[in-house]
Amino acid sequence: MTNLKSRPLTVAGLNRRRFLQTSSSLGIAAATIGATEVVFAGSKKILKVRAYADLRSLDPAFSQGVVDEEIQSSIYSKLIQYKPGREWGYQLDAAESIEQASPTTIKFKLKPGIMFSNGFGEMTAEDVKFSYERILDDALKSTNTPDWGSLKGVTVLNKYEGIIEFSDPYPPAWNIALPYIVGNIVCKKAWLEAGGKVDTTTPCVSGPYLHADWQPKQRTVLKRNPEWHGGIAEFDEIHILPIDDEGSAQIAYESGDLDYTRVPLGAVGSLKDSMPAHSKLEEYPSLFYVWVGMNVENEMLSNENLRKAIQHAIDVPSIMEASYFGAAQPSTGIIAPGLTGNRAQSNVPPGANFKKAKEYLAAAGMSDGVTVTLDVLNKAANVTTAQVIQATCAQVGITIDINLHESGAFWSLGDSSAGERYKDIQLILNRYSMAPDPSYATAWFITSQKGIWNWERFSNAEFDQLETAAKAEVDVSKRDTMYQRMQDIMEDSGAYRFITHEATPVIYSDTIKPAFRPDGLPLFRYFSQS
Amino acid sequence: MLIYLLKRVGLGIVIVVLAVSLLFIMIHMVPGDPARILLGPRATPEMIAHLSFKMGLDQPLFVQILKFFGNLLRGDLGMDVITNRTVADIVFGQLPYTLWLIFTAITGAIIIGIPLGCYSALHRNSIIDRVTGIISVACITAPAFVVALYSLLIFAVWLHWFPAVGAGEKGQFWDQVSHIVMPAFAIGLSWVGYLSRLVRSSMLEVLGDNHIRTARAYGLTESTIVYRYALKLAVLPTVTVIGVGMGFLLSAALFTEIVFSRPGIGKLIFDSISTRNYPVVMGSVLVSTILFVISTTLSDLINAWLDPRIRAAL
Repeated sequence: MTNLKSRPLTVAGLNRRRFLQTSSSLGIAAATIGATEVVFAGSKKILKVRAYADLRSLDPAFSQGVVDEEIQSSIYSKLIQYKPGREWGYQLDAAESIEQASPTTIKFKLKPGIMFSNGFGEMTAEDVKFSYERILDDALKSTNTPDWGSLKGVTVLNKYEGIIEFSDPYPPAWNIALPYIVGNIVCKKAWLEAGGKVDTTTPCVSGPYLHADWQPKQRTVLKRNPEWHGGIAEFDEIHILPIDDEGSAQIAYESGDLDYTRVPLGAVGSLKDSMPAHSKLEEYPSLFYVWVGMNVENEMLSNENLRKAIQHAIDVPSIMEASYFGAAQPSTGIIAPGLTGNRAQSNVPPGANFKKAKEYLAAAGMSDGVTVTLDVLNKAANVTTAQVIQATCAQVGITIDINLHESGAFWSLGDSSAGERYKDIQLILNRYSMAPDPSYATAWFITSQKGIWNWERFSNAEFDQLETAAKAEVDVSKRDTMYQRMQDIMEDSGAYRFITHEATPVIYSDTIKPAFRPDGLPLFRYFSQS
Repeated sequence: MLIYLLKRVGLGIVIVVLAVSLLFIMIHMVPGDPARILLGPRATPEMIAHLSFKMGLDQPLFVQILKFFGNLLRGDLGMDVITNRTVADIVFGQLPYTLWLIFTAITGAIIIGIPLGCYSALHRNSIIDRVTGIISVACITAPAFVVALYSLLIFAVWLHWFPAVGAGEKGQFWDQVSHIVMPAFAIGLSWVGYLSRLVRSSMLEVLGDNHIRTARAYGLTESTIVYRYALKLAVLPTVTVIGVGMGFLLSAALFTEIVFSRPGIGKLIFDSISTRNYPVVMGSVLVSTILFVISTTLSDLINAWLDPRIRAAL
């Protein structure tokens, strides 16, 4: 009988000392792997990121904004792409060269040898022509047609070269068309074979990643495209998880389920105080614009002095502290810093001026006080903002009744085709998103948008003229002046109190090197390992 | 029994038709043009009109309801105009996630709650019974979303035991199991308390019955009396409660699916209502209602199977 107590542990040549050594080594190795396990899950390099909504379409003609574009820009090529960094700019992608040949034409030459996946062959100027012109096709009913402005068509010069022609000068093409949604180049042959449009699958791609899988409400999986013209894509796979709530996304990041996410503004302070291990936090300005609009056709709000009293009674710095936890700055208008047309300062200072507000209220003949309604979308920051507005307006005798709405009901408030409710709107706390061109912000406030997206029912002939002219102005300095003037007109009408452009705080693992647009939107195709 | 079954099926169909018609009317009363919301701010009035036509929204409400049920008889739940997928594909793609979640939660609750209730009943007024009582009530009063949030913070962020979001990789069983633990815990915890209290009181009632006294008089062992005779009757109310509780389970699943960013029918309904995606809302609610009707009918049938007195009364 063997005495187990006296027998050394020698299984397959492994004694107790070696066992302990091996265990410690494995433990250290496991700990090291553990630190980077998200990016290098298993044997694959997988990048896990959050998107605020699920995929809706892989067709650039039906892309519904940022989420679809985050995916599409990773799988398709464009002539030019946004340049990652803190300043707006572009860099070449499928184009070997591209230039503004005249105020109404842009000449391009494709890089030779850009291949579409699944054997659909080489990208040619015909594909560029097809991709751009189909967006204009009335029969296709693309919601993204406005992004191409005055595009007439594309003339193909030879296999690789072509000229993009506009009926009027269209400077926004460089900011919101060529490097954005409608700039994605698809394969003519593949699209025609698919019946002219695609949904949530795509017949072929030409970008750094292939669309591998879509599990609705769960994830979109992109895989490295071995045929990509730009070299070898950084990650084997990118998993894009739809998580609508930023708080949940932050928890998912902290638990190791994500490598990158946008975090709530309210979390910035606590994250700075106690940063999760192996993490980096960055803050970017945002292009969103938040404002309090006033319905100028409403019986009570048609009184300009009352509108101006409200403008001066709203204390924007208090809103920044209460609703945005000091992580955002007051805005001077609807055009964000860094873009043409941004104003250095607003005509109505951010801080409340109760004395002036009372003077305007007296001039309005409402010295005894007045009650108005404020319609608000039921999001936490909006509710807090409304409460701050309620508190400061009360100091001058303006009582604010807050009406909270869920998203579907809120976004139809000013829609004149959806009943008579638009007439009853008085104040609205609103927030629009925009692309990096000033024309994208001002387009909603022209007279023809009354009852559509112009809920203030604001109408000004000079504004309308400037809106048309500025869109076609090629002189950047003149364009800048025109957009500034348009915001002056908006503010001077008393129908707008500009609040903020918010901010985009993002957190990411130090095992990756992310790439963002200047407004903090991720450019997944440029994400790499650190 | 067959007549009873037919009656229940008939009643179930009436319930489904009424519930879906009522919902149809309600969602059309809520403000917000679905075509405009679905297409976004860039849509022209022509595009909005075209989509309204495609969705049948330009027709009177009763025509829309009749069409919906007409299509339903042909097994057609309609099309999602955004992704161009059939509603049936979308709904039945999400349904297994919710069923799996509810099944795991309630199974866990049964496995823990029923023995806990039995133990409390058999050790009535002991310290353990009192402690169990306090814990059970605490579990009942804890809302699923609060449990969900705290379990996320403790088990995902702090301890890193379980993943925080999603439902796991397709085809990877253990990954899916690790993703379901916390959501199932969030839903199931209150049911543990509920079932243990229910079984305790039911068991105490049964243990005082004449047939149990008779069994004791015959000299049967206590374990035989409890597990063979008393428990069978004591769990009867549990079956009914679980059947009727399917509605609560579905609503708890909705919150949980949102908190854990899990796919599922609850989240599908929530997202579809926000975007006014009516075909998907109708399809999801129809399936949920059918699920509810089936579960209540099943619980009645199981009751009848377990209790000959009920069977005789049918």
